[in-house]
Amino acid sequence: MFERLDISREAYALATYAMTRQGAISANIANADTPGYKAVDAPDFARALADGSGLQPLATRPTHLARPDAEQSFTLATRRAPGNESPNGNTVSLETEMVNAADVRQSYDMALAIAKSTSAILRTSLGRR
Amino acid sequence: MSDLAQSLSVSASAMQAQASRLRHVSENIANADTPGYRRKTTAFEDVVEGGTETGLVKLGPVELDPTDLARIYDPGHPMADPTGHYDGSNVDLVIEIADAREAQRSYEANLKMFDQARQMSASLIDLLRK
Repeated sequence: MFERLDISREAYALATYAMTRQGAISANIANADTPGYKAVDAPDFARALADGSGLQPLATRPTHLARPDAEQSFTLATRRAPGNESPNGNTVSLETEMVNAADVRQSYDMALAIAKSTSAILRTSLGRR
Repeated sequence: MSDLAQSLSVSASAMQAQASRLRHVSENIANADTPGYRRKTTAFEDVVEGGTETGLVKLGPVELDPTDLARIYDPGHPMADPTGHYDGSNVDLVIEIADAREAQRSYEANLKMFDQARQMSASLIDLLRK
């Protein structure tokens, strides 16, 4: 029941997205001084949702099989930053990564807050506190 | 959750690499007046396991800076040649200080990411505790 609620599923997707992106940012900052390293990032969440790359495909016909338990994953791609390359071929910008990290933190906190309030509503409906 | 654990280990490996880099810098500074000393340089490398990049980082092999050693004029020095010169080191203190500062900045950035990943997993566990 919990997994089928759209809002909690979306919150779960957002939390997964934030975790994936946090991994990418950590790898970028760790490799900020590695020659030839190209920065990676996930596409923004709205686009990932619209592409359906992060969520399950829509079941538009009754014969389509829905997989509500499908593992969600977001793909990382090399970020294109023309002109931002340092002489050793590295494309990491620490400032951009810091901004992204703050963004990730905010989305993650939001996803957890939604999950928390959804579970509070469910608890209330069950008559528990 | 595995993403967060991975990001913790990536940040930890980077902090370790920056710390070793700082050690090489202090070795260079300590030996700035050692005759014939060549400064040590290292480059960062990706850690590749089983053909895939893990995102972890490590320091590569130590190399010696091939630039010419400073010729210092001091006829009274025990190592002086017939012209009165001896080989100093090729350490430039300004470059070493700049490198040390850069290592410090990178270390702080990695520490910040480590702390953020830690806080994220802590708040997830808080959610489960309730």
